[in-house]
Amino acid sequence: MVERPSSRRLTAVLTYAVLLGFAAYCLVPFLWMVDTAIKPTPEIRSTHPTFLIEHPTLAHFARVIFDTSFLVFFRNSLIVALGSTVATMILAVFAAYAMSRWGRYPAVRAVGGALLISQMIPGVLLLVPLYMLMLDLGLLSSYAALIITYTTFMLPICVFLLKSFFDTIPLELEDAAEIDGCSRLGIIFRVVLPLSLPGLVTTWTFAFIGAWNEFMFGYVLVNTDARRTLTPGILLFKGLYATDWGSLMAAAVLAVLPVAVLFLYLQRFLIKGLASGAVKG
Amino acid sequence: MKTLRFTAAALALLVGGAALAAEPVTIHFWAAWSPGTPEETRSRARIRAYEQAHPDVKIDVQVITYQMLHDKLLTAIRGGDAPDLSWGLSEWFGELRQMDALLDLTPLAARWPDRDSIRPNVIQALTVKGKLLALPQYLGIRALVYHENQLKQAGVAAPPVTWDELVADARKVKAATGKPGFAIAGAGVRAPQELVAYLAQNDVLIAREMPDGKFKNTWATDKAELARAAEVYAFYRSVLDKGVIPAEAAGWGWQEEDTNFALGQYAMVIDGPWMENLAEQNPAPMADARVAPPPYKKRPATFFEISPLYLYKATKHAKETWEFAAYILSKEWQTEIRPNNSPRADVMGSPIWGKGFTDLAPTGVVFPPVALGQITKSMEDSIGRALLKNEDPAKVAAWLGDAINRELRRSGQLSAR
Amino acid sequence: MRLERPARIRRNSLLFVAPAGALVLLLVALPLLRVIWDSFHFVNLVNPEQAGWAGLENYRTVLDDEEFAPAVVRTVWWTALSVVGEYLLGLVSALALARKVRGRAVFRAILTVPWIVPIVVAGLTWTWMLTPDYGVVNAWLQASGIARHPHHWLGQTETALLAVTFVNVWRSFPFYTISLLAGLQTVPRELYEAAAIDGAGALGRFWHITLPHLRGISLTLVVMHCIWTAINFDFIWVMTEGGPLNASQTLPVLVYRYALQQFDVGAASVVAVFMMLFMAGLVALRLALGRPARAEA
Repeated sequence: MVERPSSRRLTAVLTYAVLLGFAAYCLVPFLWMVDTAIKPTPEIRSTHPTFLIEHPTLAHFARVIFDTSFLVFFRNSLIVALGSTVATMILAVFAAYAMSRWGRYPAVRAVGGALLISQMIPGVLLLVPLYMLMLDLGLLSSYAALIITYTTFMLPICVFLLKSFFDTIPLELEDAAEIDGCSRLGIIFRVVLPLSLPGLVTTWTFAFIGAWNEFMFGYVLVNTDARRTLTPGILLFKGLYATDWGSLMAAAVLAVLPVAVLFLYLQRFLIKGLASGAVKG
Repeated sequence: MKTLRFTAAALALLVGGAALAAEPVTIHFWAAWSPGTPEETRSRARIRAYEQAHPDVKIDVQVITYQMLHDKLLTAIRGGDAPDLSWGLSEWFGELRQMDALLDLTPLAARWPDRDSIRPNVIQALTVKGKLLALPQYLGIRALVYHENQLKQAGVAAPPVTWDELVADARKVKAATGKPGFAIAGAGVRAPQELVAYLAQNDVLIAREMPDGKFKNTWATDKAELARAAEVYAFYRSVLDKGVIPAEAAGWGWQEEDTNFALGQYAMVIDGPWMENLAEQNPAPMADARVAPPPYKKRPATFFEISPLYLYKATKHAKETWEFAAYILSKEWQTEIRPNNSPRADVMGSPIWGKGFTDLAPTGVVFPPVALGQITKSMEDSIGRALLKNEDPAKVAAWLGDAINRELRRSGQLSAR
Repeated sequence: MRLERPARIRRNSLLFVAPAGALVLLLVALPLLRVIWDSFHFVNLVNPEQAGWAGLENYRTVLDDEEFAPAVVRTVWWTALSVVGEYLLGLVSALALARKVRGRAVFRAILTVPWIVPIVVAGLTWTWMLTPDYGVVNAWLQASGIARHPHHWLGQTETALLAVTFVNVWRSFPFYTISLLAGLQTVPRELYEAAAIDGAGALGRFWHITLPHLRGISLTLVVMHCIWTAINFDFIWVMTEGGPLNASQTLPVLVYRYALQQFDVGAASVVAVFMMLFMAGLVALRLALGRPARAEA
């Protein structure tokens, strides 16, 4: 940058200070969460809380995993998130391809516009009518209800993300394949998709995290433990355990684990997705 | 050839019939016990034993706290996936009855051998127009539970009898031990229960039955009653202002109230027989816990809770659901899990945790037998207005009176008089 | 029989977008129309017999409700404070991350963490940290001398909404960071160098080069987040359920309360209609401010 060496050192120190401050601001709550989860209850109830633990324990985790329906909730979240992301990806790939290559055709423009607008419709407006729709269809407390709902909500973002990735693939490659006699589907599966693998991973990660973290519809559309997902399940625990913060934090840690693992491996993709302005539009 | 075909058909019928017979019936049971308590452990063990004794029945238990149970039940009933039976609060009885969601138990109870072992007034409370619509699961009469040692330390010889004595004794405890002397639940399902008892102790009812059979809150017209209601809110205000209760108690639910008492964080509380559960879990701080009648202002009164077991009309397995419910009310279950607050007349409790509560039954008050709907939320909000917003007690009382009548009108139960 | 190329493409384009379009139609467009419809009818969730044309009755009920106007005000405060806080934190952290310091990628990853965590978990963890009894925030405030006794952040009517706003900002600012960072990285170095040669100081460069370059992104970010924050249900529900005494009740919480606690679907739909009008207004504002609908960062 255009600065003198001494001011450059000053700004470097300042930058580090700011970054460290932010890092602490972001990480400390998680560290505290994990700390509480392995602290025995008497130490949690201390008037001088500290990070140090005298007798770390896994009792809270054991209680959450074995004595509650936590694993059921976990399984349900997994099923719903995987189901909806697969459905979203399939629908989004085709729609995004159409928007990227055939964007001028009326059908594509109409759906593109609809997706744009629906991206701005807040979920809470749809809460009641979707609840009544699922009620009438007899789909309350079913996987289908959540999978359909999440797919619909994730679709716009995924379509626009994928479109921007598809846009970067040169048309000449497709033309060449077409001359070779490839069908449209063939072009997609053999040329476009392999080249946009990073884009696919980014989009899928986005969709998965969105589905995993979703709370409101999971809370309203599902009433039985057998189909309940993790995020409403945690709220259920909050009511049940009330003052047992050790167990509550253990449940929180377990709920965050998959997303954290995913994040560790795929954070490059995630950040890229965020940065490509997935949410403009 | 014919014999072969005949044998094949017979076998198929047998296998098919056996398969149908062996198809286990799943009973969905929504319970609200506290997780991790001895009550849960014992209940689950009994349920497993029941399943083993009845191989064709499987009990699917879902544990959910009372607060959420109410909303979830109503939407589940409407959505068609209501459980077969569930715990519940007596406050919901009117509402569920009005929704026609409850199974008529009269024919099933007629042939029930245990029927005569249940206290008659308790069965009566759950019978409307000759139909038994719920089973009593436990009795939750409230008493004054106190730490004897903390009171002794403050020089209080006997537990308080009136509100004024309560305030004075609590302040002595605070001075002597540094800990608050009393607590309330300002939020959650227990708040309206405590409020209805305090109002009754000052001779106030939240709704009265009128000659036309409907109900009405009479505070707007009966100025004396309104004044007494205002005194109750003034009492709430004074226990907060004078440091009688911890400052956060305004936001406490029953779990905070119970847990903090069990840990010895304060000296006295209005609570129920389940505190014995907490005494089991925290033997040291609860060793000095004793029971006495709740303090009153004008007349002794306490909340007489008959906690029902609701069986739902939409159940597809009425017979099996009833049998399981009857098992919950059986002598074995009640003696092991509810020794101190059983609706059975033949299950007697210990002197402290049993008799100390059941002796108060004559002074028990209940909610008026209407569909309460939002009334309990308004009661909870009224406590918040007095404590959090510091509104004038007379205004709070007037507001609640109006809110109650509005809700009664909305559900079609407001008297025209 | 093979169609002519344009006709084939037209058919394919229809086929490709049809499923997505159908989903949006059935699960977004129709429900929205239903919401508007319901706002003019009596609809009770648990009592199907309470039905019929209501005209403006539901609108009157909502406008007469003493909770409605405060909910609107709270929604505006909650949105404004959240977005301002998120933008400031996002800008500062983006500026810091834009510098070529060592370990930048690690910091960038760490800063994104709050955003990927489920809101329920973030809300729960912060609720635990803010409790008056054993919460760590109160302990630190007392230990550092800032507060004399523990404060019941989520239990007092004055501070509940602020506390939830604070947690919302914590969770949402990384979004701004990454977006603004991407924007910062498109600013050509030559502009800065030219300005420096002309004698502009760091602040001057920031004001006259950086900020204008970020105008487009900032506008989009702020409008989108205003919408997202205003309609956010999860945070408030998880931390306070709209309490204490409705002190943190915003419009989405009111919709939930009307529909699923009072079972008055008509009233809930009225609030939803108001929110839709508000959204449309915001979007119109954004379009009017001259930003094209889809552009590169």
